[in-house]
Amino acid sequence: MGRTVRAETIVLWLCLAVVAIAGLAPIALMVFESVWHNGHFSLNHYRELILTARFWPLLGNSIRLALATATVCGLIGVPTGIFFAKSDLPLRSGFMWLLTVPFVLPPYFIALGWSRVVARTGVTTSDWLFGFGGCVLVLSSVFLPIVTLLTFASASNVDGRLEEAGRLASGWPAVVRRITLPLSAPGILFSLVLVFLLAIGELSVPSFLRYPVLPVLSFTQFAASYNFGAATAAAVPLAALAFLGVLIEAALLQNRVYTFRSIGCGLVIPLDRWKPFVAAMLGLLSVALVILPLSALFADAFSLTAMREALQRAGASVVRSVIYSAIAATILMTLGFLLGHLTRDRGQRLVNFLTLSLFAIPGTVLSIGLIRLWNSPMTWLIYTTPALLMLGYTAQYCAVTTRLSLAGFFLIPKTLDEAARLSGASWARRLFRIFVPLSTRTLICAWLAAYILCLRDVPLALMTAPPGGDPLPARILTLMANGAPSLIASLCLIMAIASLVPLAILARVIRAQAIPA
Amino acid sequence: MNHIELDGVSKTFGERVVLSDLSLKIEKAERLVLFGPSGSGKTTVLRLVAGLEVPDKGEIRIEGRIVANSGKNFVPPEKRNVGMVFQDLALWPHMTVQQNLMFGLNARRIQKREAEVRVREMLHRVGLEHRTEAKPHQLSGGEQQRVALARALVSRPSILLMDEPLSSLEEERKCAIASDLLDLHSQFGFTLVYVTHDRAETDLLASRVCQMRDGRVA
Repeated sequence: MGRTVRAETIVLWLCLAVVAIAGLAPIALMVFESVWHNGHFSLNHYRELILTARFWPLLGNSIRLALATATVCGLIGVPTGIFFAKSDLPLRSGFMWLLTVPFVLPPYFIALGWSRVVARTGVTTSDWLFGFGGCVLVLSSVFLPIVTLLTFASASNVDGRLEEAGRLASGWPAVVRRITLPLSAPGILFSLVLVFLLAIGELSVPSFLRYPVLPVLSFTQFAASYNFGAATAAAVPLAALAFLGVLIEAALLQNRVYTFRSIGCGLVIPLDRWKPFVAAMLGLLSVALVILPLSALFADAFSLTAMREALQRAGASVVRSVIYSAIAATILMTLGFLLGHLTRDRGQRLVNFLTLSLFAIPGTVLSIGLIRLWNSPMTWLIYTTPALLMLGYTAQYCAVTTRLSLAGFFLIPKTLDEAARLSGASWARRLFRIFVPLSTRTLICAWLAAYILCLRDVPLALMTAPPGGDPLPARILTLMANGAPSLIASLCLIMAIASLVPLAILARVIRAQAIPA
Repeated sequence: MNHIELDGVSKTFGERVVLSDLSLKIEKAERLVLFGPSGSGKTTVLRLVAGLEVPDKGEIRIEGRIVANSGKNFVPPEKRNVGMVFQDLALWPHMTVQQNLMFGLNARRIQKREAEVRVREMLHRVGLEHRTEAKPHQLSGGEQQRVALARALVSRPSILLMDEPLSSLEEERKCAIASDLLDLHSQFGFTLVYVTHDRAETDLLASRVCQMRDGRVA
């Protein structure tokens, strides 16, 4: 249908090619090489892996840890999200942002913080922290915001009129149980699947707290033994679990996109005399999960000597982290915006499925695939530069920017585009003159979300950054082995500032008024 | 020659048959009102003529040229020289009144000076020359209707499609805008296809009425 359609199609194919090169090709190559040995099909790597005495306990540990984390997050996050969305609780947004802080920091920060708490009490080792219990505590703190925020968003999206109709017939507990929760269930289940997937692929926390899981095996096979076959074979079950999780998500949500727009006033849970009690409980939760470990972590940071040493030893990593994350966020924002725009009417399910699969795949698995694909003399320009890290970030996080963009597009009436089309505007003109100005808030949110996710990422930073070019999370992890606590604390504080400043901007952007319709 | 012809057009959305073997001929400069209850397929007819939907079966011709035929659009919406006033008006909220009108002229590469003259004239015609720098949300409902009408006409389309644009206005304003529309029609001579379920609007505007029911001409 003329030149305009061709332009759209070309851009769509280019975007899909970027996703394929960054994420699908490395995973496909990895799966292929795990079953292709000496020029023929072979399951030797898998046979060896399965026969290894360690494999089944490690797989069991991974699943146990992920299930426990998802359960704890569900038990705390769902009621908290419902209270945030539906009650007259004081300081709701303050609590919400406070509980979100652990998610925007590298996951091992909370583990490190707890180790400081334990050290300050005079105990050098602690069975409860260094093991399964500690891992569940730390990962629950880190991933709790996912469940809380998605429950909040889902409950806020429930049509208020349905709750008001229910309220005429029964009290608020019944309305929450019979109307709000069932209607929010897909979003809540999605958040739990997401937590399960992120927890099962987590590397830094189990490795710091010495709890043996499959990603640690995959990483050590790769980093210590440099055994690609074994590392790949250990990584493929994780990729398969991620794929299974995404299939469950697709079945649960059927690619529903949350627009974060509530209809009507809806239910308000009147806390009345329970207000101080619920606020105190949430305060206690915030202290236990956020304030206590982070204040213990940052306590040693406030010394000029430590800060100077931190900047001397890792100043370049700080700059690199910010620059890499900013570049990746710009790529991700653009890619997500274009993919969202081009698939808002057609092909959305496929793109959602592909990008979410890449998001769910553990960073260690993706890193191994990327290194395997690009580590050749012909592609040294990518392998030995930050380009490899950029590819990793792009593959891992384009689901986030694509979904955010799609949610934004659904808030723009379709007739605005149709009116522009009838005015004679080409696709590119409509994109830049109508959609971009109307999506400013979406674009800023997508950029900041991508920036925070890239900045806090550990596995990709650890495995795909060029030699001598490691970003801050990887640098801190390396220095943790022999650095003084005050040095580590200062570096963590710098990292936290770099992550929390954008979070504060994000909070302001979300609060800001949209263009009036 | 007929200006617009729909020949045996059918359209379904999922399981729902919206238009069934519809044939309709509209003459040049005619003011046809498509009248009927909700869900009778009136809006779909407009969207098919505009090129925003593709017919599953049948053929659509504009000025004798086939623009769409059984699942294919041969002429995209931006090339059909059609103006449309949407039910929700679809004014671009981030642009001023002037920018809303200039957008289409810029897209059609009309020279800047000529475009400015045309916009000024059109805003004068609809009585909004003093509101050029206002954004849509700063206008009253009636003013928004006039901007939408001016935007649809500023690029001088040969066909104007209107999808219940006056439904949200009170009677007095409705009559004023209908009267303006008739003046503009006599000045520019476009073919008007107007969708409504309001008998009063039909009486005000129609040179011919086409009653629709269940996707067919009743």
